[in-house]
Amino acid sequence: MFVVFALITLLGAGAMILQKNVITAGLCMVLCFFGVAGLFLLLANPVAAALQLIVYSGAIMVLVLFVIMLLNSHEEEPAAQSRPYQRWGGVALCAVLGVGALRLVMKSPAAAALGAKAGPAPAMTLEKVGRELFSAHLLAFEAVGLLLLAAMIAAVALTKKEP
Amino acid sequence: MIPLWLIPVLPLLGSAFNGLLGKRAGKGVVSVVAVGTVAISFLLSLLAFAAMKGAPGHRIETTYFEWMAAGGLSVPFGMVVDPLSGAFMLVITGIGALIHLYSVGYMHEEEGYARYFAYLNLFVFFMLMLVMGSSLPLLFVGWEGVGLCSYLLIGYYFETDYAPAAGLKAFLFNRVGDLGMAIGMMALFGMFGTLTVSGILEQAGRLHAELGWGLLTFATLMLFVGATGKSAQIPLYLWLPDAMAGPTPVSALIHAATMVTSGIYLVCRLAPVFTLTPHTLDVIAWVGVATALFAATIGLVQRDIKKVLAYSTVSQLGYMFLGLGSAGYAAGFFHVFTHAWFKALLFLGAGSVIHAMHHEQDLFRMGGLREKMPITFWTMAIATLAIMGFPGLSGFFSKDEILYLAYLKNPALWALGVVGACCTSFYMWRLMALTFWGEPRDPHAHEHAHESPWTMTAPLAVLAVGSAVAGLWGIPKAFGGSFAIEHFLEPALTFGQKATGHGAGHHEGPAWLLAGISTILGIASGALGWWMYKDGLARGEALGAKLPGLHTVLLNKYFVDEGVEAYLLRPVRWFGNLMWKLVDVIIIDGLGVNLPGALTRVAGDFTALWQTGRVRNYALTMGLGAFLLLYVFLK
Amino acid sequence: MDGLMSGNLQGYLAVGLLLFVAGLATVLVRRTLLMQFMGIELMLNAANVVLLAFARTHGNDVRGTVFYLFIIGVAACEAAVGLALVIAFHRHRQTTDADRADLLKQ
Repeated sequence: MFVVFALITLLGAGAMILQKNVITAGLCMVLCFFGVAGLFLLLANPVAAALQLIVYSGAIMVLVLFVIMLLNSHEEEPAAQSRPYQRWGGVALCAVLGVGALRLVMKSPAAAALGAKAGPAPAMTLEKVGRELFSAHLLAFEAVGLLLLAAMIAAVALTKKEP
Repeated sequence: MIPLWLIPVLPLLGSAFNGLLGKRAGKGVVSVVAVGTVAISFLLSLLAFAAMKGAPGHRIETTYFEWMAAGGLSVPFGMVVDPLSGAFMLVITGIGALIHLYSVGYMHEEEGYARYFAYLNLFVFFMLMLVMGSSLPLLFVGWEGVGLCSYLLIGYYFETDYAPAAGLKAFLFNRVGDLGMAIGMMALFGMFGTLTVSGILEQAGRLHAELGWGLLTFATLMLFVGATGKSAQIPLYLWLPDAMAGPTPVSALIHAATMVTSGIYLVCRLAPVFTLTPHTLDVIAWVGVATALFAATIGLVQRDIKKVLAYSTVSQLGYMFLGLGSAGYAAGFFHVFTHAWFKALLFLGAGSVIHAMHHEQDLFRMGGLREKMPITFWTMAIATLAIMGFPGLSGFFSKDEILYLAYLKNPALWALGVVGACCTSFYMWRLMALTFWGEPRDPHAHEHAHESPWTMTAPLAVLAVGSAVAGLWGIPKAFGGSFAIEHFLEPALTFGQKATGHGAGHHEGPAWLLAGISTILGIASGALGWWMYKDGLARGEALGAKLPGLHTVLLNKYFVDEGVEAYLLRPVRWFGNLMWKLVDVIIIDGLGVNLPGALTRVAGDFTALWQTGRVRNYALTMGLGAFLLLYVFLK
Repeated sequence: MDGLMSGNLQGYLAVGLLLFVAGLATVLVRRTLLMQFMGIELMLNAANVVLLAFARTHGNDVRGTVFYLFIIGVAACEAAVGLALVIAFHRHRQTTDADRADLLKQ
């Protein structure tokens, strides 16, 4: 199952990069998020999986697609100036970073030991998350609420048409 | 107790008012403020003078606050009234008020009326600070301030070419002197550890006379250099004749009666210190007599009425220094006092003539003004008699006392002084004859000439009375008087000294004979001058033709200006040019300023290459950084 | 490479890393602001995957999920403000090309 979900995730991400059409790319990303939600399920965390579907695949993606439609810019515009070094530099950098980090993780005895140590664990429940959230992390929770409010006001202010 | 600070502050307020609001206030208000503040200062000075006479030791000293304090240096901001500064205060505010009044008439049609009075009031303020300051730094403030006002007033007609140049010249020459003054001040501080006048004099009272060339001689010589700058002595006299570019009342107040005497004031103020250094006194005496004679001979041939008076002033200042150098501080001061009256009168009279002749200053174009301007004529005649030393008038007593003391010091000084006095008589009567006698040489101007308004003639009359009687204050002992002025000044001149008194006390010598010789010679040369020019220019020109070499040299003022230009200014200018083009442009501007600038610019251009302004480039660089970090930490 | 294929910790870490690199590549290679925005979302999700994978090895610690919630909150804010910026930019310049946002450089 892990391999399936991991493939869904990575293929979705890869397809997203290569897509010319922004809307299709967005849909590829939804696919990728579904894969991530599956991975969360495998990690015995249905709460996170549900949130992933609701918030990312639902809310944020709808927002992105909505903006794409609003701006009516489905296709990438032709480049003002050809910059091959940017493209190939980026690809090379990503490749180096990815291979390097992967090798690091795979060769790391500490990561292997940590993985081997993990035994079976109870699945995450919403009740546990709620209790933790509203006791130990109440202040941070309120702060995030405030942050959301500020972001909302900022978004309104930014998109308001000038009089 | 009179608030002493009010005396200088009143003219300062007048200056501020005239300078800031004068243009809007109108000429009437400006006149009232300008004359009024100085007149009130005069009244307050009278009160302060009376209070000083009643005070113990004839001295009032007040300290208002600590002005400067650093390490061992402590300078109080205070004022002192003693006979010396008190008399100067009276001269400054008294003659100052008269000249302000005269200016009301003289400057009436000028554009910058308020500006003029703002400067003139400011001058009175600084001059009062100079004489009232209880410490040398405060005196120096006034010293610099009067120099500034002098500069501003000489350059008053700033739209002309010559006036600003003359102002600049005066300022620069004064700068040279001021440097000497500052050095002398520091030397005195180094020796005595204090800069208050009273402190210096008290400590000087404990010293013995310095017979060699020591630090004290150096200090007094430097102070004398400052005095030569301010009081137009050789070699720093060149600015004063040019200073006549300013309005005539300014010439009378600043460049005849008050500012130029501040060098004498400085020497008198520190008289006990100067007494300790006989070499300095010798230098002062010889510089004084040389200046007196030198300037007087130049005055013989000048055509500009104000230039004649200017050289006369330089010459008279030379006599004052001759007196000081002969240890006759009271005599030198006495001549300051009498000279202030008659020279101010001469300048104001000349101003009256110039005013009547529509700003004609050339003596050769005047003539025959006697009937047209009777008040001006008679008052100027009194002043001329006074300056030539006619028996009974003020100049007679003061000049005679100086010449007598000079004789006691060295008969050669006396002889030279007498020759100078003869020249003085000659050029003064030449001036009078050319102005008031003979045929009008410019009939058109003569026709329109008229007596000046009362604001101008009233000061003339007051000054004429002063010129006549001011000498009675100091009738020398030889003539049965008591030389009261010496007794009057004694508290100031011997402050902090041992009771034995100083060297000028012994009066012996053929006083009557000396006075007789100089007076007879003076009157004779005066009569000669009058006779040669009373009927026009012919006799004078004939004499000039007989002595072409001498005439040319005198007419060109011994070519000193040209010499300074050729041997001092041109090398300096050449050197300045070199410094400008080589050191400034190439080394400082090029290597010092532009090279680092260019390097910075190149470095900036190079690093600006990274600042592409594109967000993706920045992200790429960030990714590179992440990779490098990864590499460094996990290598 | 068995860790990569099986569902243990190293596999999840590898998925998270690749997801992150994919997001980074999107930002670096694509010029459209909206695509770059989606790349950033991918990177955030990569962080989430790794976070929850580690939490799982610690007995499914509830704090991992709480942290995940906060990341979602911040991501929502970022989405709101970022998209608003994209709209404002498009309104001023009539483009969503990040390379054309170079007024400061000119």
